[in-house]
Amino acid sequence: METPPEIHEEQILSILVRNRPGVLSRVAGILGRLGYNIASLCVAETADPAVSRITLTSRADRDFTDKIRKHLDKLVDCIEVADYTGTSFLRRELMLLHVTFREEERAEILRAIELCQGRILLLTEGICLIEAAGDPEHLGGILACFRPFGIRAVNRTGTIALPRRPS
Amino acid sequence: MSPRIGADILLDILRQEKVEAIFGYPGANTLPVHDRIQATAIRHYLMRHEQAAAHAADGYARASGKVGVCLATSGPGATNLVTGIATAFMDSIPLVALTAQVNTNLLGRDAFQETDIIGITLPITKHSFQVRDVQRMADTLREAFDLARGGRPGPVLVDLPRDILAAPAGGDAAPCRPETRPAPPAPDASSLETVARLLNRSERPVILIGGGAKLSGACEELEALVAKARIPFATTMMGLGAVASGNGYNLGFIGTHGHELANRIIHQADFILAVGARFSDRSTSKTEEFAPLATIAQIDIDPTSIGKNLKADCSILGDIRDVLRGLLPRVERGEASGWMERIEAERAALRQGRKDPGDGPAGAFIRQVQSALPPQAIAVADVGLNQIWTLRNWQPRTPRSILTSGGMGTMGFSLPAAVGAQIARPDHAVVAITGDGGCYMNIQELATIGYYRLPVKIVVINNGHLGMIRQLQDLLFDGRLNTIALGGHVDLTAVARGFGIPSARTDLEGDTAEGLDRLRRSEGPFLLEAVIDPERYVYPLIPPGRSNMEMIYDRTA
Repeated sequence: METPPEIHEEQILSILVRNRPGVLSRVAGILGRLGYNIASLCVAETADPAVSRITLTSRADRDFTDKIRKHLDKLVDCIEVADYTGTSFLRRELMLLHVTFREEERAEILRAIELCQGRILLLTEGICLIEAAGDPEHLGGILACFRPFGIRAVNRTGTIALPRRPS
Repeated sequence: MSPRIGADILLDILRQEKVEAIFGYPGANTLPVHDRIQATAIRHYLMRHEQAAAHAADGYARASGKVGVCLATSGPGATNLVTGIATAFMDSIPLVALTAQVNTNLLGRDAFQETDIIGITLPITKHSFQVRDVQRMADTLREAFDLARGGRPGPVLVDLPRDILAAPAGGDAAPCRPETRPAPPAPDASSLETVARLLNRSERPVILIGGGAKLSGACEELEALVAKARIPFATTMMGLGAVASGNGYNLGFIGTHGHELANRIIHQADFILAVGARFSDRSTSKTEEFAPLATIAQIDIDPTSIGKNLKADCSILGDIRDVLRGLLPRVERGEASGWMERIEAERAALRQGRKDPGDGPAGAFIRQVQSALPPQAIAVADVGLNQIWTLRNWQPRTPRSILTSGGMGTMGFSLPAAVGAQIARPDHAVVAITGDGGCYMNIQELATIGYYRLPVKIVVINNGHLGMIRQLQDLLFDGRLNTIALGGHVDLTAVARGFGIPSARTDLEGDTAEGLDRLRRSEGPFLLEAVIDPERYVYPLIPPGRSNMEMIYDRTA
């Protein structure tokens, strides 16, 4: 009998790399080769344009961070790997979503947007483009809140995070 | 003299890195390099295929411990290197693979002979570079050499667009700068203490020696450890030859095709000190039943190798030689507690109970080939039955005297790797031992051997079949033999003569003395075709899915 798949908590790594062509494919290649699925991936330059930060999350077993970290440490262009899993850090994510609504639901949807601290970017007949930010739980709540109206498209940036205090 | 260009910088760095020979194949995009190389002291060996150039550089590195260098053109030249690069990667062999590339302004446009070789080789290189500015040429190449030989060695690829190779470059390359990579971490004292304590307290210890021990040059330290602690040792296939095999503590090598004594003893061990070994599937067979009673301590320079396949109870990270030097003074073992007696009893029982421990006529033949050659001869095995017969019967007298494609199992490795080994060690006899299948896979290298008059000896054990696959079909597929017959219609002695190599044929089912004698007396290259019955297989072995304790001696077992 097949064992049911284990539900894993989200693991989060913050990786500083040299900002050079091909670095991301080396990082992503490690996860692919070891059979891990990326839940979210965020890459951008830091205050130093020669250095980029990659924030990577995966729902994987506990070995994940340890294994991945050792492999990342071997990458020539990898400067530092920090494992935020189980530490005190703040995380944010930005989300855009198209929500459809019927004319009689207009008041209701505006209230919902206000309640979840979303921003209306575009509002036309029957469709609304909303911006929302927060931690993943908050964004999950927002999706649940708009599902009864009808969600046509969602785009999430993926998690970014920093520890509460600089190390 | 023509003005200096990028290719001159490249050659300057090769000279600074003390590269004496490179293995290559020219193409339109390598021409700036090939045009200038004649004027340098670097010898360029023109192989007959780029795959062979990579294997030759690999063989050069394995035989000498230096970084091997190969050079290929863009597109098909670069892709032909792939198997050779992967072979070096799996066995941690230091290699710098230089590939020419189309001009930078053509990159990404599907230009003639353009390929994304960096993308293709991403998972099989330690690192790779594309030089896009001639000013970065010198530093990039130095870094490539540092990376290839530093830490756990491996292949590094440098992609060189033609316009960068041809670009004007002022002055000499800057003088050699000191190595910038951080040295490997010094072994941690408390880990040394822990491992030494476990070793000292153990009753049935075994040292398991992997290829990493040879790569680190730690063989003297290993000899010292075995002598001081009086502990038996087994090796992996890649660890063969690390400690002189005449030593009474040698159990042989473990795994699918290894020695039964080594497999049985390591199964009973209560402590395993793994030295530069990753416990690959071919060594451990069924991992859950591997050495069930043993505490495992692992020494490796690569943190990803520790616990990769088997959980290590403790480990020491660092250069193996440094670690062993740290460990030696801490090892204090009293009189052995009957462990060696138990091993000797096991050894005697195995010797008595088995029909043929010597691999039949093939095993005898390998031992005769070794005696026909000078004592420091280097054997380069191919892959398949010939490889197992060679590794089980050749007695390596020095660590770098037996070369084999262990991790990758690349057929066709032996001929080109023997070319590289011979060029690295012109003072040593080099013999490539291959099957007919492996011989065909890089047979064009007979032309290279003949052209350069390299005194490589070539032994082809010819059974007219892909023997190891034949054995598996016999064993696991009810004897349904399919797609494995190569045929007995090829006259390999005539083929060799056609390439300018003297040859002879012998029959392993009969008297081999005359053939061996001609091999012994040959001065230049020589090919000895040794015909053998295709029913001759390698036994004992561990069938797939079984444990190291379940070696079988025939298909009915």
